[in-house]
Amino acid sequence: MNLRDKIFRHAFYALALLVMTLALLSSAAFAQAPATQATPPPPAAPRAVKFPTPVERTLANGLRVVVVERHTTPLAAARLLVKTGGEADPAPLAGLADITASLLTKGTATRKAPEIAEQIEALGGSIESGARWDASQANIDAQASRLAPAMEILADVVRRPVFESEEIERLRQQYLDDTRVALGQPGAIARFVASRVIFGDDPYGHPLSGTLESVAQIKREDIVKFHETYYRPDNAVLVIGGDVTAADAFKLAEKLFGDWKKPAAAMPATPSRKASAGAKPRVVVIDKPDAGQAAVLVARVGINRADQDYFRGLVANSVLGGYSGRLNQEIRIKRGLSYGAGSSLEVRRDAGPFTATAQTKNESGAQVADLLLGELTRLANGDLPDAELTPRKSVLTGGFARDLETVGGLVGQVASLALYGLGFDEINTYVNSVQSITAADVKRFASARLASQDASVIVVGDAKKFLPALREKYPNVEVIPVAELNLNGGVLRQAAKAP
Amino acid sequence: MHRHSRKILAPCAALVLCALALTGARAQTRMPRVEFKERRLANGIRVLSAADRSSPTVAIQVWYKVGSKDDPDGRSGFAHLFEHIMFKSTKNMKSEMMDRLTEDVGGMNNAFTADDVTVYYEVVPSNYLETLLWAEADRMGSLNVDDSSFKSERDVVKEEFRSRVLAPPYGRLLYLMEQKSFVKHPYKRPGIGSIEELEASSLADVQGFHSTFYRPDNATLVVVGDFDQPQLDAWVDKYFARVPKPDKPLPRVSVKEPARTGELRSVEFGQNVPLPAVAFTFLTPPKSDADTDALRVAEVILSGGESSRLYRTLVYEQQIAQQVSAGNDLREDASLFTYIAILASEKKPEDAERGLLAEIKKMQDAPVSPAELEKAKNQLVTGQLQERETNNGKALAIGDAAVLLGDPQRVNTDLARLERVTAADVQRVMKKYMTDANRLVIYYLPESMKKPAPAPGGAGAKTGGDAPANATKGGK
Repeated sequence: MNLRDKIFRHAFYALALLVMTLALLSSAAFAQAPATQATPPPPAAPRAVKFPTPVERTLANGLRVVVVERHTTPLAAARLLVKTGGEADPAPLAGLADITASLLTKGTATRKAPEIAEQIEALGGSIESGARWDASQANIDAQASRLAPAMEILADVVRRPVFESEEIERLRQQYLDDTRVALGQPGAIARFVASRVIFGDDPYGHPLSGTLESVAQIKREDIVKFHETYYRPDNAVLVIGGDVTAADAFKLAEKLFGDWKKPAAAMPATPSRKASAGAKPRVVVIDKPDAGQAAVLVARVGINRADQDYFRGLVANSVLGGYSGRLNQEIRIKRGLSYGAGSSLEVRRDAGPFTATAQTKNESGAQVADLLLGELTRLANGDLPDAELTPRKSVLTGGFARDLETVGGLVGQVASLALYGLGFDEINTYVNSVQSITAADVKRFASARLASQDASVIVVGDAKKFLPALREKYPNVEVIPVAELNLNGGVLRQAAKAP
Repeated sequence: MHRHSRKILAPCAALVLCALALTGARAQTRMPRVEFKERRLANGIRVLSAADRSSPTVAIQVWYKVGSKDDPDGRSGFAHLFEHIMFKSTKNMKSEMMDRLTEDVGGMNNAFTADDVTVYYEVVPSNYLETLLWAEADRMGSLNVDDSSFKSERDVVKEEFRSRVLAPPYGRLLYLMEQKSFVKHPYKRPGIGSIEELEASSLADVQGFHSTFYRPDNATLVVVGDFDQPQLDAWVDKYFARVPKPDKPLPRVSVKEPARTGELRSVEFGQNVPLPAVAFTFLTPPKSDADTDALRVAEVILSGGESSRLYRTLVYEQQIAQQVSAGNDLREDASLFTYIAILASEKKPEDAERGLLAEIKKMQDAPVSPAELEKAKNQLVTGQLQERETNNGKALAIGDAAVLLGDPQRVNTDLARLERVTAADVQRVMKKYMTDANRLVIYYLPESMKKPAPAPGGAGAKTGGDAPANATKGGK
């Protein structure tokens, strides 16, 4: 099939409802289906899709409330985001934001932890809480007819958690054990190490859920203080969506959150990150002789969510990653070296990481590292024909539309826009923004923002099987036995003390 | 269907909260009916379609009644490897053309191989429906794979084996649970296979497998989403009717797994095991058995959420386990109810075994409370609503009912069946299947524990399991 002549068409109608075509219309790409059926029949004209438009209101206490209606399934969801997350963890207390958020559902002034679980699950709903890098979040999902009682529980856990010592200890043990399990997985270790390599001792450098050492140090007073400081209505967004009317949702929000008092003191500034964009690239091997496979990761600082280059970055990342992206083409499809290779451009309030990664048999560790880096270079310097670019843009727009198919996906997307203070019309303009990116845009982005010479390489696995080949190319490779790995600082070694 | 009102769960902290909970419990949720059309063409292919024009996308699935249990002798993992090969070239499609027709136009595709079936699916903008029907019919009719793409894909599957079994800390435990749970039935061969047997497979095996199993009278086509019914029917006739039905009979696995006659125990050591784990498996009846409904409710009561019995007791109260789960891995010929507990630090496997056994015994000794029963049913309703939010999810539900339960109408009647499950039913199935004689116990321990050789001769506990040890499930 010839993709070269494929044409995208998209159209926008109406103010309240976005109408866009998901599909592309192609006429020339497909030959008329002959009697032999040796070629596929051509597509018909695409039909439009409508996405709902969110509406919002700010309560007197400063809480921003956003509602997005969808009535196709009797389900509803709510997300309460406090706009401060793991980025605010004090250096020795990595994991504080996440532990604080996780403890929300472990007891309030009127409900013990088991009662919270019991009551939400009795409604057929679920509740979960935790932190990401730039938000602390509590989510409920429920049948629409049970949204009100589920939201009452949501409001209770966000506003009135008690942080009982017994619950803190219980959760601490679970975090420590989770970390121990994660440290058994080459892929998880590689991600932890990559953050330290890119961000050093700055925020974003530590594991979001903390380290064995930092989690052991967190005290109840740290948790209480974190909650008091950041959990306030003027630092939060409530997003409600699904089979509920905006009027009912606003009424519920007012009833459950209207009397949430805003503290008199101003919000403290979020600790800012030193620019680690200039950190020197490193090649780090974590030697884990019992690893059944090697995790190979190429990492560097990427962009933030508000970056002017956001859509260029999305498209560049889509050319590299995804099933038919270049990385998987080269590593899996052509060479059978991995079950899957991919990339991610993680955007946060500040510049997050860009990573390209694959797991492979230990013997292929060095070869896969080369292939990953090579694709970064090729994206900056090589050709990017429209026949390749156009489908990779379709992957993005199609994936975006599929994300919005579920109530959870729709509410999550709206919450993310709200968190970063972006306009909700992005839901409406997403397809257009992606389509407007050219091959030249992608190449410029790749050479300025994804250059391989600024990228670090991390390989976690049975080092004796790939180290000789890796060392040939990178004589300054640092080799750290897994037993000596220290995730508390950018140095990564136990012996050395983090600066 | 309508939900009837239910009792409040104790303890309510304050009157006002009870009132809120009561309001919630009284509310009714209607499960939308799935209206579908069923046809069968002369060559035997069954076609199930459900129009839903709320968004301009369509899900297309082809279910083949062939799974890992049909792996040829000495070729364990072959059905799954073959599933990968189905994305290579056919008479009219170049390798990876399925990706060009889906991914490249904003759609997606994937496939999974389970014990009893292999399912291929695509979600595309609805104007591509005809294109995909052509493509699925084309690969049903022919495969035309060369040796180099076969070998390269075989390498991919070997990496998948490493990613699923060797790299994750508990990957091998799931593998072992599968292997050790069956003695006779081919279910004893984990669907992901083994590196050696994958290595032994050849291009000739591929052609043989295709002609044996990939035929219209062994396939069910499911289409859900944005289409015009007469137009769909005409396209299906045009592209699928011409796929010939072979004369050869379809081979079917007829091996019966014998009932277990005494507790089986096994101690396994693994590299890279951060915390010891204890697993139990019990043989349970086939998916279509009437007891499956009560076992489904039991599974939610044991393991659905943080208010479930196993979480509450073993993780929250006793802190013996870091994670615990239980589930009935449903299969056509014999199912497997599994329990897995990953221990909390410093805990002994014997403690976890004892704890799990005690929870099973409680379910056998006394009926679950009405509130617990209602909670489980409520969770099942929400789960079903969530599964069916997308066209692809709805198509999976229809295909599952038709192919594995033998009646597509089950897609609309299953909730009512679950609704009829009583506390006595749950107690009865727990007693009937979770017996000492029907239990396999596996201790999965780090190499470092090898010295003392802890023979697990303990009180015989039952362990809860994570997801069923269905290693092959998953993407292409």
